Amino acid sequence: VPAGPEAPTLPEIGVAEVAWPAPTVAGAHRLTFHGRAGSLFGIHIVNVFLTLVTLGVYYFWGKARVRRYMFGQAEIDGDRFAFEGRGLEMLIGFVKAGVLFGLPLAALNYAPPLLGADTMVTAASSLVAYALVLVLIPTARSGARRYRLSRTSWRGIHFSFRGRTLTFVRLYAGGSLLSVLTLGLYYPVFATRNHAFLTGHSYVGGARFEFAGRGTDLLVSFIYAVLLTLPTLGLVWFWFAAAKRRYFWEHTRLGQARFRSTITGGRLLRLKLGNLVIILLTLGLGWPLASVRTARFLCRHIWLEGVVDPAAIRQELQTANATGEGLLGLFEADLDLG
Amino acid sequence: MNWNGHYLDGRSAHRQPVSVGVTAGGLEIVTHDAVLRRWPYAEIRQTQGRYAGEPVRLERGRAPAEVLIVSNPHFLTTLRESAGDYSSRFYDPRRRGRRMLLTLGAGVAAVGLAAGLYLWGIPALALVATPLVPPAWEARLGDEIYARLVSSEDRCSDPERQRLIEAILARLTGNGGAGPYHLRLTVVDWPQVNAFALPGGHILLLRGLLDSTDSPEMLAGVLAHEVQHILRRHTTRALIQHASSSLMVAAIAGDVSGLVAFALEGARVVGALNYSRKAEEEADAEGLRMLLRAQINPAGMIAFFDRVVRKEDGREPEGIWRYLNTHPSHTQRVATLKALAANAPVGPPLLAGHDWNDVKRICGG
Repeated sequence: VPAGPEAPTLPEIGVAEVAWPAPTVAGAHRLTFHGRAGSLFGIHIVNVFLTLVTLGVYYFWGKARVRRYMFGQAEIDGDRFAFEGRGLEMLIGFVKAGVLFGLPLAALNYAPPLLGADTMVTAASSLVAYALVLVLIPTARSGARRYRLSRTSWRGIHFSFRGRTLTFVRLYAGGSLLSVLTLGLYYPVFATRNHAFLTGHSYVGGARFEFAGRGTDLLVSFIYAVLLTLPTLGLVWFWFAAAKRRYFWEHTRLGQARFRSTITGGRLLRLKLGNLVIILLTLGLGWPLASVRTARFLCRHIWLEGVVDPAAIRQELQTANATGEGLLGLFEADLDLG
Repeated sequence: MNWNGHYLDGRSAHRQPVSVGVTAGGLEIVTHDAVLRRWPYAEIRQTQGRYAGEPVRLERGRAPAEVLIVSNPHFLTTLRESAGDYSSRFYDPRRRGRRMLLTLGAGVAAVGLAAGLYLWGIPALALVATPLVPPAWEARLGDEIYARLVSSEDRCSDPERQRLIEAILARLTGNGGAGPYHLRLTVVDWPQVNAFALPGGHILLLRGLLDSTDSPEMLAGVLAHEVQHILRRHTTRALIQHASSSLMVAAIAGDVSGLVAFALEGARVVGALNYSRKAEEEADAEGLRMLLRAQINPAGMIAFFDRVVRKEDGREPEGIWRYLNTHPSHTQRVATLKALAANAPVGPPLLAGHDWNDVKRICGG
């Protein structure tokens, strides 16, 4: 039988779709993480070797491999996620971010003292650098999210982030300043508004993640945490972090379904403490185990509840480049693991 | 033989149970006894299923791609057997065993490479890169550190005695011996027995050290050591080594959180101590050569180190601690200096006609 690209005829497909109507699944949609620390460790070893041999260039390909593995091991409703990001595009993104933003920032910080400029010029250029960082961090966060979601899919349907960078920059810079001016009291509102923006503009296909949280709801827990910091030696912040995450997830919906979470302070403390011990005892070599523990933890304690109609999740492709991803790499280590 | 799987059309998240026939030309994706799709092998790519237990995921077409997923672990073997020339498009499950070995090999090689980079690569890079840094930058950096480190009331300023001590420095460097650097010596009113060289030309001599010298020759030995740190640009080299070993640590830590980087930073700091011990050894040897070139009696320098040894007797670091120390073992230092100083010609004594005990009172008292 010669195999043609479009061999089947349309009536045949029609028959097939009638025979298997799209099932709408109700109830709890649980995530399962199948990954094993041993496999991740193997990937990491090869990545380190190739990164050293290529004097760092392979780093980005290694990053792509780790993500491909981690996403491919997470499953919901019988299907695994897929990450399609490529090392080359991440390398290009990093170089672009370095040239466009990293070099000017370094120049602002280091050039005046090295060139012997007077104190006023040095101070002014440091100030400009601070302001630039305040703009670049939100740019990086939203850019990286745009990139990562666009390269992630479930059942062949791509995720996307459609928030406007400029809006987020305004939100972030304003919120940072307000947090400083209110001596941190504005922080829970700031965190919730950031989350609302990042989540509320995220989609899987054409289906939007809706976030209905209000910043003031976390204010009471936040004040408790501040007051209890000394008596609990700071451990109370695990409970605040858990409350925050629970609040964020439980106020997020996807169509008719709603996210649920059973993350508690005690569980989060056990996870983080365990990871800390693993990493310190192995001098960092045990991080794949810590990553796998974290992924399992998230999959166990977050799920989607309600009716999901997969046929209603339609593909809507959005473009994204990796410059934001590269920019985030300049500022901070990864946020999604550990 | 047909395989059970499911098909995703790339348009919606609806999944369609299908049966997959593996034929000579490609895959036949069959649903309800009707052929839904025919995929020629040349157009199929495999994106998941490399790891044991992971379902095989095949895709076709540009984004949004169609997807076919088959969980049966034997599917991949059959696929490879039937795909003929295109079998390399699919992962060979038999390679999983070999991959284990390759991973082990990569691990051993990575350790070797990291050690090689640490022992030779990074020092070589620093050696090449250091001369490219303009001395003017070093001077500005040194000035910056100097201004922050030593407050003006801690600087001992007795012009007459300062001139005498600077004469020792001048004898050491002779004509043009300071290279592109303008050497500036400051006696600091701190009690510790120590001296520092800042990049670009500042030498900080602490009162405690000055007090413990018996003769200008003893001080000359210390100054020669510090001048060598400046001339050999040890601080600049250390900064470059710091930056490149941080990069190496980042390469090893990979795509991970700050916690791992923190654990590895500890390892990097221990490693950096070794680099700095080498710099000390170099400053010792070159400092003594400088002393001999200026025809200053090396007995003073050797006696000074000898005294430090006797004073620290019993506190000599042993075993692993020797390597965690920034300075080389004192006994070793003295032995090396004595070997280098044998039969050296000696010129006139330093500061003849001046009372050294009086010169030492530069900080008053």
